[in-house]
Amino acid sequence: MPPAGIWVDGLVQSCIYVTMAFGMVLVFSILGILNWTHGQFYMLGAFVVYYAITAAGIPFPISLLISGVIVGGLGMLVEKFVIERLSVPGYGMLYVTVATLALIFFFEGAAGMSFGLMDKGMATVLPGVLDLGSFSISYQKIAVIIFTLVIMAAMYIVLNRTKVGLAIRAAAQEPVAASLYGISVGRVSLIVMGIGCALAAMAGGIIGPVYSVNPFMGRIPMIMSLLAIIIGGLGSLTGAIVGGIILGLLNSVIAYKISYFSEVALFVLVILILLIRPQGLFGAPAK
Amino acid sequence: MMPYIDYKTLIPRTVIWVMIALFLILPAFTTNMITLSIFISSGIWAIAVMGFVLILRTGQFSMGQSAFMAIGGYVSAMLTVKLGIPYWPGFLAAGVVSGLIALVIGVIVLNAGGIYFSIITIAFGEIVRIVALNWEAVTRGAAGILTSPPAPITIGNFEINFATSVVPYYYFMFLLVTMAGLVFWQIDRTRIGGTFRGVAANPMLSEHLGVHLMKYRVIAFAVAGVFTGLAGAYYVTFLSVITPLMFDLWKSMQIVMMSIVGGISSIVGGALIGATVLYTLGVYLSRLPIYNIQYLLFGAVVVLVLLFLPKGTGLVDLWGKFWHKVFREPEEYEIPEESEMAVE
Repeated sequence: MPPAGIWVDGLVQSCIYVTMAFGMVLVFSILGILNWTHGQFYMLGAFVVYYAITAAGIPFPISLLISGVIVGGLGMLVEKFVIERLSVPGYGMLYVTVATLALIFFFEGAAGMSFGLMDKGMATVLPGVLDLGSFSISYQKIAVIIFTLVIMAAMYIVLNRTKVGLAIRAAAQEPVAASLYGISVGRVSLIVMGIGCALAAMAGGIIGPVYSVNPFMGRIPMIMSLLAIIIGGLGSLTGAIVGGIILGLLNSVIAYKISYFSEVALFVLVILILLIRPQGLFGAPAK
Repeated sequence: MMPYIDYKTLIPRTVIWVMIALFLILPAFTTNMITLSIFISSGIWAIAVMGFVLILRTGQFSMGQSAFMAIGGYVSAMLTVKLGIPYWPGFLAAGVVSGLIALVIGVIVLNAGGIYFSIITIAFGEIVRIVALNWEAVTRGAAGILTSPPAPITIGNFEINFATSVVPYYYFMFLLVTMAGLVFWQIDRTRIGGTFRGVAANPMLSEHLGVHLMKYRVIAFAVAGVFTGLAGAYYVTFLSVITPLMFDLWKSMQIVMMSIVGGISSIVGGALIGATVLYTLGVYLSRLPIYNIQYLLFGAVVVLVLLFLPKGTGLVDLWGKFWHKVFREPEEYEIPEESEMAVE
């Protein structure tokens, strides 16, 4: 049995994967595409938080919100000027996929050019550890877990208790019928893309002090949240949460046992899940 | 699913033959190593792109093509360096091993089509990279394997020496691209290519018409695997080193971008144009003094090409349209005028 610290680290990773996977599934359920640039929005969010704290001296919680707003707006711009224009009926999703792949290079290049390639640490944001006898947890990790719980609760309220959430759920289920009832599916897509990117950015901002911030930090979380979505089932929000938790814990615990090959084990596990149950744990069966 | 423009009616055979002849005598004009290296690398990537487009013809979106390049490269490097086998048998073995792995993987995973297949191929590519990085006893990890150039080939008094010049590499690349191009072109234009498109356009209908979906998907995947493996083996010899970083997920994404920018309507022409344009762009961008601006401009160029060029066709169609407008239009407009005159 791995020590408790390993489980806590796994839980912290889980929280990040859950937040990112949730945004990705939300975007997928409305726009019908996987946003491959999601990891780069995560990276940009971490940079916004870093500069808000170090350069402008804004308190940590407020700078998280700022990063959500800025990167969410950026995501909306991407939706408006790239994704919407490339979603031509009859061409499949090929062009959107390739455009979001190209945007990975674009954003990583932009970040590397303007912020430099060096690792940037901001360990002094929430100093101190909580001592629990046999092991200790830093306050920053506790903040990550609390933040994820708050975000998930907020998303639950937005999706189930507000008119915007109703519109999002309607557009996800039946886009045509929803537009017949006066819901602008284009605007819903814009909102959803903004929410998804803001979630990714805030995840990057909250994890930034735990790890370090660099232009390529978004790659692994993007692939991992992709795998989380697949484990949970494509298009299922519950699936994204459960998949993220499973993946983060497994990643941490398997890495404790077999170090380097833990990712191989994870990928093999995901391939097996896909072969045995292609719709994932919570997905609807394929038509 | 996607419209395919039959562009060969737009561009006369003569132009294609002139292009081929120009490329054939290119080393007579310049033996500049950098210029030739760009063409050699572009040609090698173009083979990988052709493989990707062939898989795309069956409606599957493979995001792990560079893994097959890595497999081919490692097989060739290990056979020549560790076992001391001459280069050319090792080169062929790289293609065979890569094709067999593609066959096995395809049989196992191609049932999960669509986005699931994309993610499985990503996972496969990452597995290959991680194993190559950490199985140090065999692959020497991040340090990579250094390979030596193939032994000189002597034909009479004429000696082809790979160690002293890049020109032999250029001509062998030409041979390889021609072979791969002929195979992919023949597959694409004959009955089997039509079946691929049918499988992509309507899997259910194809299955009801008695087409074995898996068979055609696996054929496309395995053929692509063979040639991608050969391309990888040749690329490794050309660069004389292989490291796990050379063929990671981001290279697979580059293959995808090259295919779309070049255009998927023509399997050979689009791949060649896309790979050459984007590879050359990457090389020239990396000479810019500002660090990391090449990634930014690379991404920007791809997005702009997607936004402003005709969808589904890429640069191939631009070329075809240009040719059509400049050289063909007058003839076509003369005929209706004459017929109107005759009616009056």
